[in-house]
Amino acid sequence: MDSLRNSLRRLNPLSTATADAETGTGVGVEADADERGGLVDRLRRSDFVESMPFWLPPTALVLLFVYGAIAWNVVISFTGWSGLGQPDYTNFTLEMYRQMPADQDFIASLRNTVALLIAFTSASLVVGLGLALLVDRKIRFESTFRTIYLLPMALSFVVTAIFWSWMYADPDGLINTALHGIGLEALAYDWLGDPRFRLAAVIVALIWQFSGYCMIVYLAGLRSIPDDHYEAARIDGASTLKLYWRVIIPQLRSSTVGATVVLMVFALKAFDFIYVMFGTNPGRSVDILAVTMYREAFSASEWAYGAAIAVVLFALALTIIGPYAYTQYKRGAL
Amino acid sequence: MADLQLDDVTKVFTERDGNEITAVDDVSLTIEDGEFLVLVGPSGCGKSTTLRMVAGLESISSGQIRLGDTVVNEMKPKERDIAMVFQSYALYPHMTVRENMSFGLEESTDMPATQITETVESAAEMLGIGDLLERKPDDLSGGQQQRVALGRAIVRDPEVFLLDEPLSNLDAKLRAQMRTELQRLQEDLDVATIYVTHDQTEAMTMADKIAILNDGELQQVGTPLECYHEPANLFVASFIGEPSMNFFDARRDGTQLVTDQFRYDLADETVAALGEHDDLVLGVRPEDIELRSTGSDEHSYETTVDVVEPMGNENNVYLTFGDKHAESFVATIDGMNRVEAGQSVVAHIPEEAIHLFDRSSGRALRNRTLEPTAVAEAQF
Repeated sequence: MDSLRNSLRRLNPLSTATADAETGTGVGVEADADERGGLVDRLRRSDFVESMPFWLPPTALVLLFVYGAIAWNVVISFTGWSGLGQPDYTNFTLEMYRQMPADQDFIASLRNTVALLIAFTSASLVVGLGLALLVDRKIRFESTFRTIYLLPMALSFVVTAIFWSWMYADPDGLINTALHGIGLEALAYDWLGDPRFRLAAVIVALIWQFSGYCMIVYLAGLRSIPDDHYEAARIDGASTLKLYWRVIIPQLRSSTVGATVVLMVFALKAFDFIYVMFGTNPGRSVDILAVTMYREAFSASEWAYGAAIAVVLFALALTIIGPYAYTQYKRGAL
Repeated sequence: MADLQLDDVTKVFTERDGNEITAVDDVSLTIEDGEFLVLVGPSGCGKSTTLRMVAGLESISSGQIRLGDTVVNEMKPKERDIAMVFQSYALYPHMTVRENMSFGLEESTDMPATQITETVESAAEMLGIGDLLERKPDDLSGGQQQRVALGRAIVRDPEVFLLDEPLSNLDAKLRAQMRTELQRLQEDLDVATIYVTHDQTEAMTMADKIAILNDGELQQVGTPLECYHEPANLFVASFIGEPSMNFFDARRDGTQLVTDQFRYDLADETVAALGEHDDLVLGVRPEDIELRSTGSDEHSYETTVDVVEPMGNENNVYLTFGDKHAESFVATIDGMNRVEAGQSVVAHIPEEAIHLFDRSSGRALRNRTLEPTAVAEAQF
């Protein structure tokens, strides 16, 4: 805030004079004027008021449409609003939250969400790290590989979802055709039809799309490690495996934390992927909270219950981002 | 313990467009056990590449590096029994000082954990960082990091110590202090050491032996005083010494040297040393030029003081021959002697102090004569 104020001052010679008056350097005339002008004059001269046109409109819009909407959503989750008609704001209850533990659909989708969160995030990180380590070894066509691995990230999730549903199709999708081709018919399952594989199929597709992003994050981390560290470790006698395990990978901690937060938050709202692949009712094997929320609110018109699920999702997102934001704040990075 | 020997070591880098660059050209050196060798030269002269070849971080294009009787050319760094201190220290930021110092022992030896702890602690004690063992490198000052980097090398108890400009990231005062400490440490450890630097002061003050490199070629190997008083060529003469030696392009006319500014009579023995060469460079160290208020004897010249740099203990006096815009040369005189800019003084260039170089090859034809008594006196 101070730096903003200073830069504003630099832009406006008049306010520099004001600042001087405030700190008491320009005692004589200006001090008198201050007394005469009173509150209105002081307000007019304050940096806060002067800078308002710049920050007020965007702040107001964000407050209204982001935080206002969140607050409204929380309020709705306390009403019993369902079906047609208007919510009743006179009678607040925790009924919606009480229903949750008994709702098998909700429990299944919560379980799937957490499973997706953990499996998708950790696998993407591992694959991304592997790719980054390989690409970082001063290979030929490095930038080509980088682009190829990052490309899936540029695709719309809808495109990826459709594309992977073709891959998984039974019996003539690419994967099963290939399995038949090499004589492994026994392994050719109905990936998207069989409840045992549905969630795993989604996770694999998501890893395909996001490991390129992890690779870029890790590659940036690797590039910031000086060559000296590799050389010092070699002189210290470390084998290549030990070099990476003990010297290089531990230094990628902040890259890991950053990528983890991004992946987890995405995993929570991986709505479009599942919606495109399976529609609004994907079944308990692959239902996630984001889809359940949509179904309850917009298909079943259980507005309040949908809102309550949204609050749960929001709380999950906060538990992921909260600690990260806090440590960043502690380190002065926020 | 063994000697380290470099025989005709050459390093050729091939650029992307196929151009070949010779970074190190046919360098031969012997570093005896316990000897402190300083490799010195300007940036890009190949000194670091030479060091990295000894370390095993760079392959050798041709030639041989031997440690004792073993040829180490194809050996990995860990098999060579060397330890290296990097210019940037290269401490692992996520490890504590203790972990940094133990890492090499854990990776390259079968030493049991208790013994590693002991070794690390005694090395840390020796370097005065015993109380920093649990800290991370980021919490340490530059000087402390430097000690940790040294400690990491010491605990390995290597055959050869390699130091790559280890003091260049320290401030001037700390650098001077670390210079003495390093020297003492090396004497205590009694390990063959190669120390790379571009700083001729470090080279002069620390070395048992200096090797001067330029453009990948070895210019001279010798004790600091040999390199200072008997430079093998123009490059060494100009590189060693601060302020640097004065040079005057000269032609020989019989027994006389003719420069643009003055004529200089040569004694018979000097003329004999020159042989057939008569396109020469005359060199003289600033401290060998005597300044007098008057006098017109042989080898004395009227000059004008251009600039005086008082250093406290001595003054660097920049002189010109008459014309103010002519190139100046420098004389170093006692700090108590007051000289003012613009003043006229007589500069005496004694013949026993002059160096003569062949201009085209740069080779020294005649170095200053050192009176045996002067050297003997200095030995106390």
